[in-house]
Amino acid sequence: MARTIKMKIKKSGSEYRVLVLVKHPMETGRRKDKKTGKLVPAHYIETMTFSLNGKLVAEANMGTGVSKNPLLGISLTAAKPGDKVSIHWADNKGESGSVESVVK
Amino acid sequence: MKRLIVTVTLTGFAMVVAAGAWATPKDDIAQYQGYYKKRFPGVALQSYSDGVNVLPQYAARRANWELLMEFPPYEAEMDKARAEWAKPFANGKTFSDCFKNNPPATKYPYVDAKGDMRSVVGDVNRCLKANGEKPIKNLKTGKIARLVAAFKEQFNGQKMAVNVNSPAALKWYDRGKKIYWTRRGQLNFSCASCHVQNAGNQIRGDVLGAGLGQGTGFPVYRTKWMLKGKPWGTLHRRYAGCNKNVRAKPFKPQSKEYLALEFYQAVMNTGISLKVPSQRQ
Amino acid sequence: MQRRTFLQNTVAGAVLVTASGVGLLNPRKAQAAWPKAAFAAVKSKDSVKALFGDAEIVEGGITLKAPLQAENGAVVPLKITTSLPNVEEIAVVVEKNPFPLTSRLKVFPGSGGYFAVRVKMAKTSKVYVYVKAGDKVHVAAQEIKVTIGGCGG
Repeated sequence: MARTIKMKIKKSGSEYRVLVLVKHPMETGRRKDKKTGKLVPAHYIETMTFSLNGKLVAEANMGTGVSKNPLLGISLTAAKPGDKVSIHWADNKGESGSVESVVK
Repeated sequence: MKRLIVTVTLTGFAMVVAAGAWATPKDDIAQYQGYYKKRFPGVALQSYSDGVNVLPQYAARRANWELLMEFPPYEAEMDKARAEWAKPFANGKTFSDCFKNNPPATKYPYVDAKGDMRSVVGDVNRCLKANGEKPIKNLKTGKIARLVAAFKEQFNGQKMAVNVNSPAALKWYDRGKKIYWTRRGQLNFSCASCHVQNAGNQIRGDVLGAGLGQGTGFPVYRTKWMLKGKPWGTLHRRYAGCNKNVRAKPFKPQSKEYLALEFYQAVMNTGISLKVPSQRQ
Repeated sequence: MQRRTFLQNTVAGAVLVTASGVGLLNPRKAQAAWPKAAFAAVKSKDSVKALFGDAEIVEGGITLKAPLQAENGAVVPLKITTSLPNVEEIAVVVEKNPFPLTSRLKVFPGSGGYFAVRVKMAKTSKVYVYVKAGDKVHVAAQEIKVTIGGCGG
């Protein structure tokens, strides 16, 4: 089942701000499972790319220091209504996901 | 000077509680809301639906809440909640079909013709049963909380106005008021001990929220609970947590005790707008 | 005739090269590898060095919105804005974390000086925000208190 991902695009002055929330455990690898007593392996989003009309405008790299169910936000300096924003994430276990939205 | 005012106000409260029958809910509301107005002069009545975040003692942490609210963690869940609310039952009916005959969220909880206290949680399950569906067992978190949120958010911005005008409702009100002001648990605290007398003060590194407004934002989405995988909480889940904190045995969700308490708090919140759901730590 | 065709081809070729350079052909593909050394560093100065080498670090030009005290160390929201021109990279380092580098944003044309992220903080610590703009690396810092609390279940 795909992990829930939600994007918001807000106008901020002459720019747009894109906020994205992904439901992801962002496990550090240092937490013990209470039932088994074993360490839960590290499982975290490594990279998230942000594209405007197919062109890469920003790329975020994360480690285990980013919170569970991570939120990230970037700005778009040259977007206009009708433009397509797409976000793609990939984690250290090879899982990935994406979401698209249109600037209103 | 400040301590003196607090003492005088508390004596006033004690008088009202002791007298019981002759103090009307209207008097109580004026006194309760007036107390917080004096204690937190910069805080407008409507702000109390934002809970502890509006208290001056919370200033160092307020930016935490403000930043989270730029994209509240519950937003992704609310899409799910609205879909669950709208999904037809096997017989084709929906929750809206039941609730169009119920009061608006601003008048919940309410006392029905039989003298029973009706909460949104209770009416969601009544609706399921009436339409041949299984009622929801978990009354503290998950689906039940999402459904309550989906119903109540339709009334956001509207002011609380529960009805205390019948003898049956007054009985429930007095019962709830008594529970609120009665000390319990090993720590021997009442709801009022923390949320009236010590509103804004610190306890174990936390700032105590004001009792006024509590409930207007429920269900709540808590960071603390999100980290454990059960982010949503109904009001009665929160009551149980509080009771456990003072080492008192919690009542069951939707018990008469918690329904009465919910009713009393709803009456004290008269005039405050709904703001559902809420993001809290 | 021949020259015009040649020029047309050259222009088309140039566009193609540029496009693949910034990922037009493959927008989902990351531009660079995940910076393993930087994320594995246990001392904040080592994570900074892994990202920015021996670049000169100067103060100022960055606005950090963050709580003075966190509600919960596991989810501390931060908002970084800067009006420095030519922002290339923004990085967030939590000094007292086991691995201080939490995240870094590479900014390409089309995006600007804004980064929002929610980080974990193991304990009260200074949070450092680095912004590479032009040939300098700017820094801003703020201490965020982390206490253990959380009433109510």
